[in-house]
Amino acid sequence: MADPVELQAKLKALNDGYAMQLPEKLGQIDHAWEQLPRDRWDDEGFQTLHRMVHSLTGSGKTFGFALLSDVARNLEEYLKQIVQAKKVPDENQRKCIQVLLSEVHQVSMRRDAPAGDQTGLVEVAPSDLGTTRSKHIFVVEDDHQQAEELKIQLGYFGYDVSVFNKLADFRSAMQAKPNVVVLMDINFPENSREGIRAVKDMQQERDTPIPVIFLTSNIEFGARLEAVRAGGVGYMNKPVNIGNLIDRLDSLTTTLPSAPYRVLIVDDSEALTTYYATVLEQAGMSVKAINNPLDVMPPLLEFNPDLILLDIYMPECDGMELAGVIRQLDAFVSIPIVYLSAEKNLDKQLFAMGLGADDFLTKPIEPHHLVSSVSSRIQRSLILRSFMVRDSLTGLLNHTAIKDQLDREVAQTKRRGTPLSFAMVDIDHFKKVNDTYGHPAGDRVIKSLSRLLKQRLRETDMVGRYGGEEFAVILSNTNGETAKKVLDAIREDFSQLRHMAEGKEFSVTFSCGIADASFFGDSTKLGDAADKALYQAKHAGRNQVMLGHAPPVSGVDFI
Amino acid sequence: MADKLMRILYVEDEPDIQTVARLALETLGGFTVEICSSGSEALQRAPVFQPQLILLDVMMPGMDGPTTLGKLRELPQFAATPVVFMTAKVQPSEVAGYKQIGAVDVIPKPFDPMTLSGQVQAIWECCHG
Repeated sequence: MADPVELQAKLKALNDGYAMQLPEKLGQIDHAWEQLPRDRWDDEGFQTLHRMVHSLTGSGKTFGFALLSDVARNLEEYLKQIVQAKKVPDENQRKCIQVLLSEVHQVSMRRDAPAGDQTGLVEVAPSDLGTTRSKHIFVVEDDHQQAEELKIQLGYFGYDVSVFNKLADFRSAMQAKPNVVVLMDINFPENSREGIRAVKDMQQERDTPIPVIFLTSNIEFGARLEAVRAGGVGYMNKPVNIGNLIDRLDSLTTTLPSAPYRVLIVDDSEALTTYYATVLEQAGMSVKAINNPLDVMPPLLEFNPDLILLDIYMPECDGMELAGVIRQLDAFVSIPIVYLSAEKNLDKQLFAMGLGADDFLTKPIEPHHLVSSVSSRIQRSLILRSFMVRDSLTGLLNHTAIKDQLDREVAQTKRRGTPLSFAMVDIDHFKKVNDTYGHPAGDRVIKSLSRLLKQRLRETDMVGRYGGEEFAVILSNTNGETAKKVLDAIREDFSQLRHMAEGKEFSVTFSCGIADASFFGDSTKLGDAADKALYQAKHAGRNQVMLGHAPPVSGVDFI
Repeated sequence: MADKLMRILYVEDEPDIQTVARLALETLGGFTVEICSSGSEALQRAPVFQPQLILLDVMMPGMDGPTTLGKLRELPQFAATPVVFMTAKVQPSEVAGYKQIGAVDVIPKPFDPMTLSGQVQAIWECCHG
């Protein structure tokens, strides 16, 4: 057996040689094609052309040009049919050959990753999509009381907290390389900056640094600098503002939308769709590929893509016509459509964009460029969509969206006969918070309640911001009694949260009214009943949850 | 017949494929390889080299793979030598067609130089299993 290193080197040299000859080979193919007479059948000439393309098909992948093999195969198979028919290709066939030939040219620059990389495709940067980060927090703090307080406060927001009062305990826990976020006090009995040193040591043992937020009463610049050098992502002064800390932790631990981006690709070249699909799938997206543009409708409606990639030149129906058709559907008026084409002519690109496309990506496109173009466009479009249905301060559904949702949910509940409850939540004496501590403090209180609701309720429950300090919650598959228990527990925890403004701590409570859908015929009556229950809760002294009564059987309302 | 596979004749018109195949089969597989650039060259050299297995490219200018196979079979000492076609065409119907005219198997092109000798060895063992 040969030395594998030497062998790899030899193979690489062969691949390099092939790569160098490739332009000349393609030039010969172009030449052979152009030489063919258009007015009579040249059997030998066509055979030669076919054989040259055939050899490209049969060799590309061996020398590290896998995509070239695939794309050349399309051309080879097409040419073979013509060779068998022995007829001068007509105008359409010539066009088709031209397109296939230009695709061969495009992918001839696409070399595989070096030997040893088993994926066989050019590497694509790993994406954050779909990766879940830990909700586990290590608090390292020698002051027992402060540490326990942090643990309790963070616990309200769904964080799982472990406390270490001694650096030695923390060091040994980190041996297992857990995936956590560390909240590190700086001052320890050993040294006034011992916490920073411990983090520095720990980071050195890890391939990817762990997120660390330093908590300190030390406001010296030198300490801050040292903390940054140790790889700290945050530096917060004590006493810690829990709202800010949670904001920070949420951004460190938040996972992007758990559903992967959905991309629909329409391109008549199977090799290319497969290639693009692989690249996007490697980046964590979900991809559906269609080779015949006339088949686009069913997958468009079922797959409900976030973005459509369209090849511009296709038989039967070209990309621009297809974009026009897609834009006629109300549901897809705003979907991003991106053309994928070899078209370099700017006028034609602009014309195509006039017909409903958002952008133009010119083939051949680098895999990482494709991934970033597609994902940034999807992100932007999702953000735009969210502006229409989300409240800007809290990210919760806005008034209109939660009401629409309630209509839909109630209708579904009535059809299926499943339980559903609707809750209205209102912060107590909110005006006083704003007046005493200022509007920024009031906004933070609203944000903390919205976060608490989101984190403590199930994925299937829906939370909306109904008005200023008023929230609405739809609890599916939940009867009134259960909803009351759930919201009462949240109420209890919310009242324990410490808010901070201008160095002063304060706490806030909320009142809640709940209505059970089984007693009410439609969403309007359900909403009114929850509102009435909320009013009763306020009237009975606030900081409590009230379950609304069933309406009188007579069905006649007296005011 | 359960001899160890040593000598392979490879008929292939393309110089760069010849080189990489030689590297793959000799350096990696440890076989002794004789390479011919055409069917007619193969017919001349085969009786001298005495291959145990023949790899034949299907599409070659002049005499193609199947024709070369037919001529080889006319030589008594190659009446039963396993012949493997190498081709970019791998549709099942075509593979069946090649087998019908006497090939023991088909290796699809483009081949992977790292696994080619393993594929050849497996075919050999299959013929003599």
